[in-house]
Amino acid sequence: MKDLKLTGVRPDGARTVVEVGGIRIGDGFTVIAGPCAVESEDQLLRTAVAIKEAGATMLRGGAFKPRTSPYAFQGLGLKGLKILDKARRETGLPIVTEVIDTRDVSWVGEYADVLQIGARNMQNFSLLREAGKSGRPILLKRGMYSTLEEWLNCAEYILAEGNPDVILCERGIRSFETYTRNTLDLSIVPSVKATSHLPIIVDPSHGTGVLGLIEPMSLAAVAAGADGLEIEVHIDPPTALSDKAQQLSPEAFKRLMRKIATMRRTMDELAAEDGR
Amino acid sequence: MTLESLRRDIDRIDARILSLLDERLEKGLLTRRHKSGSLDSGREAEVLGRVSARSRCLADEAFTTGLYRRIMDESKAIQDRRLSLIGFQGMHGAYGEAAARAWAPEAATMPFGEFSQVFDAVLAGDVDYGIVPVENTLGGVVGQVNSILVTTELRVAGAVDMAVSHCLLAPPGADHRELRTVYSHGQALSQCRRFIERNGLEGVDWFDTAGAARMIAEERPKGAAAIASRFAAELYGLEIIKDGIQDSPNNRTRFFVLAKEARQATNGPADGDHGRAGDDGRAGDHGKAGDHGRAGDDGRAGDKCSAVFFADDKAGALFAVLEVFAEAGINLTRIESVPTEPGDYAIFIDFAGSDRDEAVIKALDRAGGLSRGFRLLGCYAERRL
Repeated sequence: MKDLKLTGVRPDGARTVVEVGGIRIGDGFTVIAGPCAVESEDQLLRTAVAIKEAGATMLRGGAFKPRTSPYAFQGLGLKGLKILDKARRETGLPIVTEVIDTRDVSWVGEYADVLQIGARNMQNFSLLREAGKSGRPILLKRGMYSTLEEWLNCAEYILAEGNPDVILCERGIRSFETYTRNTLDLSIVPSVKATSHLPIIVDPSHGTGVLGLIEPMSLAAVAAGADGLEIEVHIDPPTALSDKAQQLSPEAFKRLMRKIATMRRTMDELAAEDGR
Repeated sequence: MTLESLRRDIDRIDARILSLLDERLEKGLLTRRHKSGSLDSGREAEVLGRVSARSRCLADEAFTTGLYRRIMDESKAIQDRRLSLIGFQGMHGAYGEAAARAWAPEAATMPFGEFSQVFDAVLAGDVDYGIVPVENTLGGVVGQVNSILVTTELRVAGAVDMAVSHCLLAPPGADHRELRTVYSHGQALSQCRRFIERNGLEGVDWFDTAGAARMIAEERPKGAAAIASRFAAELYGLEIIKDGIQDSPNNRTRFFVLAKEARQATNGPADGDHGRAGDDGRAGDHGKAGDHGRAGDDGRAGDKCSAVFFADDKAGALFAVLEVFAEAGINLTRIESVPTEPGDYAIFIDFAGSDRDEAVIKALDRAGGLSRGFRLLGCYAERRL
């Protein structure tokens, strides 16, 4: 792949570690969890406490929602950001939230620790440039029609503005399959490791859109060598205002976290065998 | 003229009416020193006469005189509540007022334009207390206040050490993405410089943080916000876009609460109240004021003292005074010099302790003999917010 001056593998093989509020993404394993959207202070704070207890290290939650329909819930905006800020103060979990408007980048940066650029905005180049100037780490989701090369070029836009802290996130691509919401492309994880030094995490919630597939795909992502997971968890999924079908309950998330820990130990053993 | 623009004008006028009404009630409170009770029927007739003489008003005479009767009734009712009054410098919503409210939540806060006016009002008995900033962690000593403290007859009755948290304020419903300019006092703007830059705003110097908040609330200029306290936001009905926007988290201001006598520390509250009541001939008027003083120090004599003195112009003169405190094991918490005349400096010291402690009494006595014009400003409780 040409012209990946800043995102391509480094000659010395060193990998980027993004540091956020005491957490190192790209070193060990990071689990980002939280609701699709911030709906209320009560909903977010209760979810935040539950995911922290289960072992998640970062909190996600959308304040600005890019919805398929203009009539669907668009998010709480600034009020949502203030609620996220409160959740951070109460739980200590760093915040990841999506930014969809270039005019919002600096303001979201005032409240969030990591700015997420969603799949639909992956190639919004003016947004990428603003994100590059924000001084905050960026979680860059893979566009649903993007090749690895296109995706890494988008990361290149951010790095070219002087922001070295980009985390890639695979969230499924469009295929002819309709059973799942998207087709989770786990082969991209080792492919990113072979072509770039940036950390990569996997979002099995959007990647499958099917509750029962989140657990097997999370474990498969660990096996594929991902640096972390981003999982949607809602305190009461049936009442969620968006992504009802793919948000885990805190109990289900807790069970999943235990299995992830077992899977990671297995992967460490395999790595140790390779080393022998 | 659209309905929307007319309504915006009406909202602005309402904001001004409410501010003016508050100002009128405050002036009423300040009259207490000059009269023996809240009712002065001669004066009321005069005000009503003037109101009814303005017959060319759109509003009918029965309405305006009725309105003024209500206003004067409210004014008297407030005067009869015998609130203690605390003067502060700045407009309503100033950080000094926030500190005053924290120190005595029941008191009425009175704005003054200059620090010297706050001192004068306490001295004249117009207000019971004055609250003034003495130092800030970023800006250093507040020169104007400290030079008055050198010579004032007032005593320090309390202190408040308050975290200064600047907030970005905009009219409710304003879109934060449309903000372009931000109005505030130059010092607040400089304390939030990086925030202003990060968000592509332009800072505009205003005479006062609270004044900027009031202007934003009353004028609602397009794309404009103010930097002021959370208290100012509540007072003027502004929305807090973001709080804690100062670049340094260690922004604290220390305020002195001044009174004519440091009653709770030396004379005891009863004497103090009595003395004050004599000032305006209304015995027991300031029972509440005394309560605030006591509430401020939990009934104790205080845990901190402030003093000022002049050191002789000779080797070791300052050291000799400070040595007294060191030998007595008294912890000096602040030392500050303020130039008075060329070559002469007033030295301010704060130390932990009370003038009821034996060690402190002895040290004060010895320090007095080793310096010129040694004066204890007061022993008081310091509250940290």
